[in-house]
Amino acid sequence: MNKTITAASLALAFGTALTLAATPVAAQDKMADKEKCYGVAMKGKNDCKAGAGTSCAGTSKIDYQGNAWSMVPKGTCEKTASPTSPTGHGQLKEFKEKKA
Amino acid sequence: MSAAFARALLQPDAPCPAGLKTWNGSDPAKRFAVYRNNVVVSLVDALADSFPVVQALVGEEFFRALAAEFARANPPRSPVLAWYGDGFADFVENFPPAAGLPYLADVARLEWLRVEAWHAADAKPLPLAEMAARLADEAALPALRLALHPSLRLLRSAHPVVSLWAAHQAEDVSAALGATDFADAEAALVVRDGLDVDILRIEPGAAEFVESLLRGAALGEAAQTAAPFDLPATLGLLLRSGTIIEATPSGRIS
Repeated sequence: MNKTITAASLALAFGTALTLAATPVAAQDKMADKEKCYGVAMKGKNDCKAGAGTSCAGTSKIDYQGNAWSMVPKGTCEKTASPTSPTGHGQLKEFKEKKA
Repeated sequence: MSAAFARALLQPDAPCPAGLKTWNGSDPAKRFAVYRNNVVVSLVDALADSFPVVQALVGEEFFRALAAEFARANPPRSPVLAWYGDGFADFVENFPPAAGLPYLADVARLEWLRVEAWHAADAKPLPLAEMAARLADEAALPALRLALHPSLRLLRSAHPVVSLWAAHQAEDVSAALGATDFADAEAALVVRDGLDVDILRIEPGAAEFVESLLRGAALGEAAQTAAPFDLPATLGLLLRSGTIIEATPSGRIS
């Protein structure tokens, strides 16, 4: 437990918070800006992806028939090699060998 | 008949349901196979839309195979395709081929919270001037209760979920991933600010604080967390993201 929060310390915290909140974005610290830009708007989702007047996107597509249980991830996770990582490149390789 | 038809749609090896006819005399089994493929492809596409970072992490081929396994085991329960994917994170967690990526399920959880936040109800943030007015009575502050935006979601992870997610929004994904320390545990605050869903990394103690507020705890009580955190910065973050929609004295939460 932290020390008990007093009314005075809450008032002080809010005072600082209001100042922070009222500060224009450009003047805020870099970290806050960086975090803010992570929020990328998600596009709306249509039930039929190809849009009105066309058939659904699925109709022209043949999906992968591979057996998922014998597959190995091949995406950006493979680029995350890190000596301290429990999940970096090394482990992926090990996983492959186990499957083979 | 319809139950057997639906079952056959989700089993790639099931025989074509009996009694199907085609208008032009072509082989019903072939036509059915096309439809069966489309059903799964449309569900896999929906998952790819909702979980783009999971897909980027494991690659398209692996993702589509994983998503197809999920789709066959968990067909939609709602006609709203945007809601398809609830439970995907748990499925990922128990998917043996992804066992080498322990963070993958939490990345999926974060992406799902983003979908939830995107579709959550609107609420007007409390204007800063009004907030300031509510703070006039200093002695009443510990008993003040904050109502938070309906889109607000929290995720506490043992993995650097926010960094992983953010790395995939960066121009140079590889560089951003290279800078990620996989030993980091991170907490995420997800909230829709206007038409944008923000994903913010917050301290574990701050996540605890916000969780208490969500449970309806008063400020003074919520601020006493097990893990220390920066209270002014956290309140500033909540105010700036429009997360605080009402502040009321104890007992009168609106």
